[in-house]
Amino acid sequence: MAASRRIQKELNDIKTAGIKSFRDVTVAEGNLLSWTGVIVPENPPFNKGAFRIEITFPAEYPFKPPKISFKTKIYHPNIDEKGQVCLPIISAENWKPATKTEQVIQALIQLVNDPEPDHPLRADLAEEFTKDKRKFFKNAEDYTKKFGEKRPAD
Amino acid sequence: MAEQNHSNYYQLSVTVECAHLRVGTSFLKPNPYVEILVDERNSRKTEVVKCTYQPKWNEEFTLLVTPYSFLHFRLLNHSTFRKDSVVGDKRLSLYEVLVHFDGKCEHLELTMDLISEKHDGRVKVGELIALLHGMKVENIMHLPPLAQTELQNTIGPVAAASIDQHSPSTDTRSGLNTGVRARSRPPDAAVIVNNASTNAVISQGAIAAPQTAPHGTAAASGALAATACANGAASGAGAVNGTAPGDGRSGANAAAGGSGTIVQEEPLPAGWEMRYDVYGRRYYVDHNSRSTSWERPQALPKGWEMRRDPRGRIYYVDHNTRTTTWQRPNTERLQHFQHWQGERQHVVREGNQRFLYPPSAQGGAVAATTSEEEESLGPLPSGWEKRVQPDGRVYFVNHKNRTTQWEDPRTQGQEVGSDEPPLPPGWEIRLTEEGVRYFVDHNTRTTTFQDPRPGAPKGPKGVYGVPRAYERSFRWKLSQFRYLCQSNVLPSHIKITVTRQTLFEDSYHQVMRLPAYELRRRLYIIFRGEEGLDYGGVSREWFFLLSHEVLNPMYCLFEYANKNNYSLQINPASYVNPDHLLYFKFIGRFIAMALYHGRFIYSGFTMPFYKRMLNKKLTMKDIESIDPEFYNSLVWIRDNNIDDCGLEMYFSVDFEVLGQVIHHELKDLGDKIRVDETNKEEYLRLMTEWRMTRGIEDQTKAFLDGFNEVVPLEWLKYFDERELELMLCGMQEVDVDDWQRNTIYRHYTRNSKQVAWFWQFVRQTDSEKRARLLQFVTGTCRVPVGGFAELMGSNGPQRFCIEKVGKETWLPRSHTCFNRLDLPPYKSYDQLVEKLNYAIEETEGFGQE
Repeated sequence: MAASRRIQKELNDIKTAGIKSFRDVTVAEGNLLSWTGVIVPENPPFNKGAFRIEITFPAEYPFKPPKISFKTKIYHPNIDEKGQVCLPIISAENWKPATKTEQVIQALIQLVNDPEPDHPLRADLAEEFTKDKRKFFKNAEDYTKKFGEKRPAD
Repeated sequence: MAEQNHSNYYQLSVTVECAHLRVGTSFLKPNPYVEILVDERNSRKTEVVKCTYQPKWNEEFTLLVTPYSFLHFRLLNHSTFRKDSVVGDKRLSLYEVLVHFDGKCEHLELTMDLISEKHDGRVKVGELIALLHGMKVENIMHLPPLAQTELQNTIGPVAAASIDQHSPSTDTRSGLNTGVRARSRPPDAAVIVNNASTNAVISQGAIAAPQTAPHGTAAASGALAATACANGAASGAGAVNGTAPGDGRSGANAAAGGSGTIVQEEPLPAGWEMRYDVYGRRYYVDHNSRSTSWERPQALPKGWEMRRDPRGRIYYVDHNTRTTTWQRPNTERLQHFQHWQGERQHVVREGNQRFLYPPSAQGGAVAATTSEEEESLGPLPSGWEKRVQPDGRVYFVNHKNRTTQWEDPRTQGQEVGSDEPPLPPGWEIRLTEEGVRYFVDHNTRTTTFQDPRPGAPKGPKGVYGVPRAYERSFRWKLSQFRYLCQSNVLPSHIKITVTRQTLFEDSYHQVMRLPAYELRRRLYIIFRGEEGLDYGGVSREWFFLLSHEVLNPMYCLFEYANKNNYSLQINPASYVNPDHLLYFKFIGRFIAMALYHGRFIYSGFTMPFYKRMLNKKLTMKDIESIDPEFYNSLVWIRDNNIDDCGLEMYFSVDFEVLGQVIHHELKDLGDKIRVDETNKEEYLRLMTEWRMTRGIEDQTKAFLDGFNEVVPLEWLKYFDERELELMLCGMQEVDVDDWQRNTIYRHYTRNSKQVAWFWQFVRQTDSEKRARLLQFVTGTCRVPVGGFAELMGSNGPQRFCIEKVGKETWLPRSHTCFNRLDLPPYKSYDQLVEKLNYAIEETEGFGQE
């Protein structure tokens, strides 16, 4: 497959780099185009749990960007109920074939840690985030504890 | 081939008569046709005979051969869906045939075993019968045989005992070329065979007579019934098949032919009568010339015509050689002629190698350059033939769809480069990617569209030497196209009866059942159960409704270019429909009918699709409108140094259709060639090509084939893709108020004077210009159903936008992805009009961004 060498290399790079906030990268059986991994945010209120994501590469990668979706429910202005996330680095206008998956993940981790209420997918949460931060933090923490995955020990 | 230097070319007439094929295991009967190759080149093919194990063709080919040539007969099975497969073949060494028959190849009937090379060895799959005629080599025994051991080997033992039980006494059947049996046909039988086949050729020839009417020349004699008899020709030719009395197979042969008429002897030409003299002997009276003859008259061979001089005397014109004679041509004379022609080739070649003055100073050089030019044009497209009218004027016949025209299809719609004065020193002519001519001044390193030669007309020159500004007028091109349609119109009409509920299927069956050329007759459409008489209105409705139906993305034949571009393109997933290629052929025919009959269709295709119809090269830029994401990536690779980016790209690529990933190597061993700065240009070129054709090649070909059967694609060459869209979709009356209401401005305001001028221009110009302006900015001449408020860009809704950009010396530019017009701040209304007109008319395709 045309994209496999690139994806395999990126996978190896990510594994050797050992990113603290992104763990447990696994490739779907027999399909290099589909990865899963766990986001481990550092900032509150999301630092009470971990979030499983799925990265899907199109057959035309790297001419087309990968897609990211959350498998774990999360209380976040930029991530909707279906797990869709709006990440500028992989949008049609900004995508470059040289963009690495590692950069994409770093951008994602940053977005999770620091929500951007100006470009929300969930307007209600964005409003809560800007108007009543304490309430947002409380809700998000409860939500994270309830639905989030267990954080790795180290 | 080295031996060509020692041996002359000869003309050899080969008539492929028929074949007897072994009944195969497949439950489908084959659709056989024969391909003849001379020394594995110059492929000639017979027509396809449908569904039979006993095909009859009786097609005569004149081949140029040397005595050492190998004739390769291949019998193939034509398949609509797959590549045609070889049923069996036979290689024939002409040298051996000639040696065996004393250098003469005259009236020689060959029965050849067709052999198939299967995994289980060589199998005889049938026999092919062909007639060789008209070649005579003096002193064949003195010609040295070729130093090919193979050749010696092929002189096998005498072939299996004579199979044909009813061989006449004159049979000289013998084994040569293993698996080939030859015999000399009794001359009288041969005469009739020959007669029949020449006759068939003649009736075909009638198709090709040019339409002289527009020029009012009376030379139409040959052309007379041109189109009228065109239809009859095919079946007629079939009926006349070469049944030779005395040929044992006549019974079987006579059954061939579409009309099923059994013709034992040719009817006499007009004005002839057969009588018996007092001894009971037959003779023939020619009332035309008031003469008698013992010999049965033959129909005139191809290219011959009978005429009368002012004194009423009959003479014969040979258009092949542009000569006349009082004698009616007969077999023997023709034979001499053919032999002479074979010689002539040699003489011409000899002659070409001699000169007295430098060729350029010679008057004769004109002919030389034209023939050179001819060569540089390459061969005519398949199915086309060049012919000469009695008055010497050259015209072109398209046998595929039975049309004629004056223009050379190879240069139709192109620049004419000949008889131009030389350029000043340091100048060069080049073509843009769009095929527009421009001039490079290497002295100053500048380029211009303006011809630098003194006396050259203002503006670049086009096809007919008229200034491009005039020629580019859409109206003028359209009238050229209409002229071609009208001059190939067929009489009478065809009825297509459809039910509204089953419009697609009804139309499909009726359009595909008819021979394609019939679709050029006047259409008479009937919607079942409705009374409307079709004086145009009904067929207009039919085109509109049916186009809406067949292009419906639901059928999976076509798809929208992308989620924001509602133009249609072929859907790569269409292959899920097992009949998809037939449907595409049908749609090709249908779209051609719309153009031919001047009707519009409901919605249009993508610009790249139109370009493909025009056989224009697709560029990277073309991808933008159909796949902006992919395009951006290509641009990024082009504009950045990619060596240290870890792109890990190789010359191979994948794409997914219906969940299946299809891998493609862009070139041989592409999987192993890494893309880097040095080769990325090639990579981008190959990627572009692949992106625009992936998964739709067969479909596109089927569409174009269907189209070309009704309207030769060459006829479209006047137009560019935008004009093609205009022709097919028509112009819409644009609601300027709505347009103005839904326009936004950047760095201008509603009240800027340039904006006021712009709207003044829009209101004052004609609807064609308006449509073109809209097309220039938005990429299509069509307005969304909901009006300008619903105009779409590549990222969702995007209103028409006018932005102030640049200086007054600049031309306006457009960004079709954003429906944006960059309008420089011009100083006057006139200047704005001039620049805008120029941008729309002249810089299409590359003034944009």
